[in-house]
Amino acid sequence: MTPIIRAEGLVKRYDRTVAVAGVDLAVAPGEIFGLVGPNGAGKTTTLRILATLLQPSAGEAEVAGFSVTRNPDDVRRVLGFMPDAFGVYDDMKVWEYLDFFARCYGIPAARRRQMIRDLLDLVDLGGKRDTYVQALSRGMQQRLCLAHALVHDPQVLLLDEPASGLDPRARVELRELLRELRALGKTILISSHILPELEELCTSVAIVDHGRMLAQGRVAEIERRLRFGAVLRVHVLAEGEELEAARDHFGADPDVASATILEDGTIELGFRGDDAASARLLARSVAAGLRIVTFARAASDLEELFLQVTSAEREGASAA
Amino acid sequence: MTDEAIHVDGATPEPVPTQPIARNRGFRRPHPMLAARRLFGGISAVGVKELRGRMRGRRAFVVLTLYLLLLAGFAWMYELILERQYNTGLGGSAAFASASIGQELFAGLMMLVTLLVVLLAPAFTAGAISLEREKQTLDLLVTTPISSLAIVIGKLLSALTYVFLLIGASVPLTAMVFVFGGVAPDDVIRGYIVLVATAFGLGAFGLFCSTLVKRTQAATVITTFGVMAMTLGSIFILVFWGAMTGVRIGPDVPSGGVGPIKGRPPEVVAYFNPFIAQADIVCGTQTTYSLWCSGVSQLLNGNSGVVVFTDFGGTIDAPASEPAVEEDGVRVRPAVAVQPFGVARDGFWPKSVAAWLVLSVVLITLSVQLVSPTRRWRPGLPRRSPRRSS
Repeated sequence: MTPIIRAEGLVKRYDRTVAVAGVDLAVAPGEIFGLVGPNGAGKTTTLRILATLLQPSAGEAEVAGFSVTRNPDDVRRVLGFMPDAFGVYDDMKVWEYLDFFARCYGIPAARRRQMIRDLLDLVDLGGKRDTYVQALSRGMQQRLCLAHALVHDPQVLLLDEPASGLDPRARVELRELLRELRALGKTILISSHILPELEELCTSVAIVDHGRMLAQGRVAEIERRLRFGAVLRVHVLAEGEELEAARDHFGADPDVASATILEDGTIELGFRGDDAASARLLARSVAAGLRIVTFARAASDLEELFLQVTSAEREGASAA
Repeated sequence: MTDEAIHVDGATPEPVPTQPIARNRGFRRPHPMLAARRLFGGISAVGVKELRGRMRGRRAFVVLTLYLLLLAGFAWMYELILERQYNTGLGGSAAFASASIGQELFAGLMMLVTLLVVLLAPAFTAGAISLEREKQTLDLLVTTPISSLAIVIGKLLSALTYVFLLIGASVPLTAMVFVFGGVAPDDVIRGYIVLVATAFGLGAFGLFCSTLVKRTQAATVITTFGVMAMTLGSIFILVFWGAMTGVRIGPDVPSGGVGPIKGRPPEVVAYFNPFIAQADIVCGTQTTYSLWCSGVSQLLNGNSGVVVFTDFGGTIDAPASEPAVEEDGVRVRPAVAVQPFGVARDGFWPKSVAAWLVLSVVLITLSVQLVSPTRRWRPGLPRRSPRRSS
């Protein structure tokens, strides 16, 4: 299938720094595509280039077949963008806010009223039509900003860190909303530095660091690649010397890179094996007589995984 | 991982209706009519949004009412001053007294409204773009298809709407001078043309400063200094020029200028001083060698005094550009006949208006370049590396 968002060798250089160093991207229509990476990885820069807010220093990008450099006006018509840090106008009511952007897209007055009502219902702000924008909560403002990006019914949505600063409830609501939008046929490109936030939502992810694309593909595929280097947390019913013996037992396993006793009495294992290997390790440990209360993979914290992935890359580079 | 994601993982995601991609390639220029309609749509979008904020509630109209009350109070008090200061020994007839009071009242009102325009027009626009940057709303705006030109013009017009409202509201008050006489309707029209052109030019200047720097505070400071240079600065330069080129009596002292400072000062220095343009218009109402006429004449002609009235029929000193002649051992300027009535005066303000309009066009063009995210060039300014974020 022809990708609806395509980037080839995208580079953005500033005087001394390189924010994006050759990013290739292909997003198929109808996907929710996650762009993951730590802060400063070049996610925002990439999105801003796609949103025609920045000129790439090199490379080419297309949205729905329009070049972001040669046909920015056409790109803007098929694209809705929600920036990371977005502001709201003072002294403006919710419906006026949407009305303003609808006017910017040249939507005729006859259609604006109905469209604003539909959009406010979609983002669950139907009762806030006449509220001043600055009086809305952060989560509501976020949803309003999402609604603003939808006034022209775009094919593609670019959302930069849409969940940052939201409380858990608002996050869940946002996730539901994005699923709804996907069902409406929108392609959504979303950036985040928190992997769990995306893995429940996205069909595909790309992982960026230092302006480079480290991995790109289906979520499960990436997960498999990242699981190499998981962290296991084991709670053994033991104290003192017995606990140290348990740690040494785990440390002797060839798949375990490190074993440390944490302050709360659990043992943390740096684990190199896959799921099958961890199941075998558990079985062996139980057979060895360890009284294991819990044995679980620690929540995959992206930064932690990154350290492992990137350090592995660096080792590979120095070995070569 | 959700069921949905797993499902999608296994199969290709269901196709979504999108337009064929290959058709969209290449650069297309929209039809001129469509482009014009989009431009006006964009201007009205920005304008409506700005005016909704500015005109909401009673504030704008309370301010307007207060302004008119103050202006009316000023006019009344100024008229009383003029009445008491009028020297009956000079003119004699009451009609003449009334006319000359009317002229001075006209002058006072125009100068006051000009001062308001000079203070307010750039102040209203100096935050137009930088505030959007500070509130992080500019990104939302420029990712819409609305053109940068529409943003700039919409911002400028909506900010100036209030200034134009203040200018327009003063018209009935200024028309009161017709009761006194001495001022013709075309004089008043000229005065208002200068006011509108000044508001436009200074508004464009404030807007340009607002696009040039990131912070509203910096934009306001730059705008204020620019306005001071245009008004106080230009007068100071003209006075300086006049002093340098003025004739000095004595054998050793060269007269007629120093280095490149010779003859009449370049008039362009005064084009962006609306007070001089207004003084020129006030001078146009008067037949005597008044304060306003002599002021304009002294500033623009470098102390040469080539303006004004003919009935005098005599001669006055030649411009300083003329070589001095020796008379009884003293270097003095030669005498020349004064120009006939109506020629030299009242000719400055149209140039000033034209200069404001040219300046507006130039500044709007530059502002559009600076607002546009993809067509950005910043001549002479060091490029700061923007906020680098994830």
